[in-house]
Amino acid sequence: VTAASVDPVAELSIQADAAEVRRASNWLEAAALKQHLPAEQIARLDLCLNEALANILAHGGHSALASEVRLQLRVRDEAGIHEAEVTVSDTGVAFDPLAYRPGPRADSLEKIEPGGLGLIMMREAADDLGYLRSEGRNLLTVTIRWSKAV
Amino acid sequence: MIVAFNLREHPDSMANDAATILYEDTDENLRTISLTGRLDIQGTEAVGNKFAILSASDKHRIVVDLTALDFLASIGIRSLVSNAKAQQQRGGRLVLFVGDNAAVAKVLKTTGIDTVIPMFADAAEARKAALA
Repeated sequence: VTAASVDPVAELSIQADAAEVRRASNWLEAAALKQHLPAEQIARLDLCLNEALANILAHGGHSALASEVRLQLRVRDEAGIHEAEVTVSDTGVAFDPLAYRPGPRADSLEKIEPGGLGLIMMREAADDLGYLRSEGRNLLTVTIRWSKAV
Repeated sequence: MIVAFNLREHPDSMANDAATILYEDTDENLRTISLTGRLDIQGTEAVGNKFAILSASDKHRIVVDLTALDFLASIGIRSLVSNAKAQQQRGGRLVLFVGDNAAVAKVLKTTGIDTVIPMFADAAEARKAALA
């Protein structure tokens, strides 16, 4: 059983616009604090949310920018394990971030490429990333888990 | 000289929202640029031009102080990289000073940026490396 099987504890729809990303972060922080998520876990989700939205803004195309992005937060506790999940749903061009393979790491400033950093950061920050294309929407789920403090 | 550019958000937004850039020319060869708040899309756009102008100095090597940075997104990292490149193209050097900011240091390590832009926990080492 995962967090995906429970109802969201908070939802927000935003415009696909750079100015809305901060609002999404503020929404996440407020909703997560209400669920008693520790600050360091909120920070992981916040990083993933920012990078997911940045990808939509940069690569989602006209169809993404023309309609709202839907955000949901779910939480679940089971057997001493906390789980929180953020779902980001957009109408942009189909893009599966799990299929992306970053190129070899640059070893000098001259060789470094500007793209792909956000996906690397998301993979590092999240415990699980899930992707589904459904009814014309990209559904990205970011899951984090942590143990209860002893 | 110390100059602050403080870009406040509307007051009802939540914590850590101001992206701030501040610099100090500690001597004729060295400039420290301090970034605080959130280098997310909005924060990076707010301070990006000033950061680029301050980094593109022909006279100064650059230490970027990230010790009080609350949040570093990939757009903020790209800003660090482009300014480090600009400084290098001038024959200079830009280095990062992270102090004990574990969250920011982790992001820079995860992305491998610490291997292309020198990163230091110690301020004196950062200054020394910038001037080397």
